[in-house]
Amino acid sequence: MLAAQVLINALVLGCLYACIAIGFSLVWGVLNVINLIHGSFIVLGAYLAWGLYQSLHISPWYALGIAAPAFFVLGYVIQRLILNRVITAPVLVTLTLTFGLDLILNNAMIYYFKADYRKLTLTPPMGSVSLFDVVVPIDRLIATASALALTGILYLILRRLRVGRAIIAVRLDRDAAMLMGVNVNSIYAIAFGLGAALAGCAGVLMALIFPISPLTSTAYLGKAFVVCVLGGLGSVSGALAGGILLALIEGIGSTLIGPAHATTLSFALLIVFLIVRPQGLLGRKGFE
Amino acid sequence: MADTPVIELQGLRAGYGEVQVLWGIDLAVRSGEITALIGSNGAGKTTLMRALSGLIPIQSGSYRSDGADLSDATPAEILSHGIVHVPEGRRLFGAMSIEDNLLMGAYLRTAGRAEISRDMDRVYATFPKLLERRNQAAATLSGGEQQMCAIGRGLMSAPKLLMIDELSLGLSPLLVEQLVAALRALNAEGMSILLVEQDVTTALDLCHAAYVMDMGRIVRSGSGAELLADPIIRDAYLGVLEE
Repeated sequence: MLAAQVLINALVLGCLYACIAIGFSLVWGVLNVINLIHGSFIVLGAYLAWGLYQSLHISPWYALGIAAPAFFVLGYVIQRLILNRVITAPVLVTLTLTFGLDLILNNAMIYYFKADYRKLTLTPPMGSVSLFDVVVPIDRLIATASALALTGILYLILRRLRVGRAIIAVRLDRDAAMLMGVNVNSIYAIAFGLGAALAGCAGVLMALIFPISPLTSTAYLGKAFVVCVLGGLGSVSGALAGGILLALIEGIGSTLIGPAHATTLSFALLIVFLIVRPQGLLGRKGFE
Repeated sequence: MADTPVIELQGLRAGYGEVQVLWGIDLAVRSGEITALIGSNGAGKTTLMRALSGLIPIQSGSYRSDGADLSDATPAEILSHGIVHVPEGRRLFGAMSIEDNLLMGAYLRTAGRAEISRDMDRVYATFPKLLERRNQAAATLSGGEQQMCAIGRGLMSAPKLLMIDELSLGLSPLLVEQLVAALRALNAEGMSILLVEQDVTTALDLCHAAYVMDMGRIVRSGSGAELLADPIIRDAYLGVLEE
């Protein structure tokens, strides 16, 4: 019974973690940029969902349709106008730049929204269902399904569309992609835009489950980082495996040694993985 | 027709940053011909290929194709002029399937799906091995199959000039023979080819015209037969001692 509870919670949360990580992984894999704004994008997405629900009563399910294009444009513009100037510089330079951008965005959110925790509460509440004797809130279940759907959409974009093939080609061999006529700068901007769109959508889903505050952005970023290391960089399946593993470890950890140590456990696991299996569970891939 | 050059270079200079590699290249590839570029390691052949496909900038000199000036063109613009570069080491997208690699070759084309799939069938007809393995990742192919896939990917752009850097490197003589036969067949259908090749005998045997490069300059040119008979070339590149 307890085991079933932990397992189902891990599956539900794991898919959301995968959704948090997948955009981060895409940007890291394709642009070789460790995008430190990712966590703040997620929080901004959560505020967008909260604001739309509070002021216009737009449900978070519809907010996804607003967040995706809005964040895509935001990411595209940031890459084209700012990040692109240093894209060929060593990783430390792009890391510093995204760190600075994150400070700006995060402090702007603290300024406008204050650091108070807010909660998006659906009225009326959607209730809960019983799965294998485990009670799961329906909104959480739909959020999980949406997270899975978003990961699936990214997978299809990368595998089926011309632009997706070009993104993978740039990731695999930049020069060879240029020889195919691919405009690398434009692909970088599209990949960064997709990463931002996924972060924004993940934020919308997170708003349904967790309290919203600018202070949570580092926690999201940390999760994205751990999932990428656990699952392996550069594949949708790796992010899913990493996400579920992380949620499982956290779940077992908080059951056995208390929720205060769950994060400690996940970061300890991160260090073990970096030493023992730096390529992650499923290895580094092209992007599948 | 045979005398119109597909590309024409005059005094072309290029290099990497401060390092000048090409010191004024004059070269023409005539339409419908196979032109070979030979020379020892480090002569600048690959650098010339990279300059011609726009991967590195041209510092000075002219690079023209059918009246268009390509000296400042991007790789995409050069490709859309029908000049495609099959790079040294194949440079396939290893994690992608053969079919996706071929589709990447057609990336810039605005032609309809039907036309692109017809061209893909032609590539498969030229290299039947690729058809058997179309859904396999390119990295799992043998060296020869990878070269076929790389040439096929180049053909998918529907080029007028196919530039191949190191056709035979690391391949068995039997495979090289197959590839040479495929190039002859393509040329017979009207495709112009610029071939960079270490294997001088194969190259001079196959080509209509050839250029010899050394230290970033063209040091000799002529028909394949002329160069094969040239005692200096035989001495320097074929390892044949004159009696």
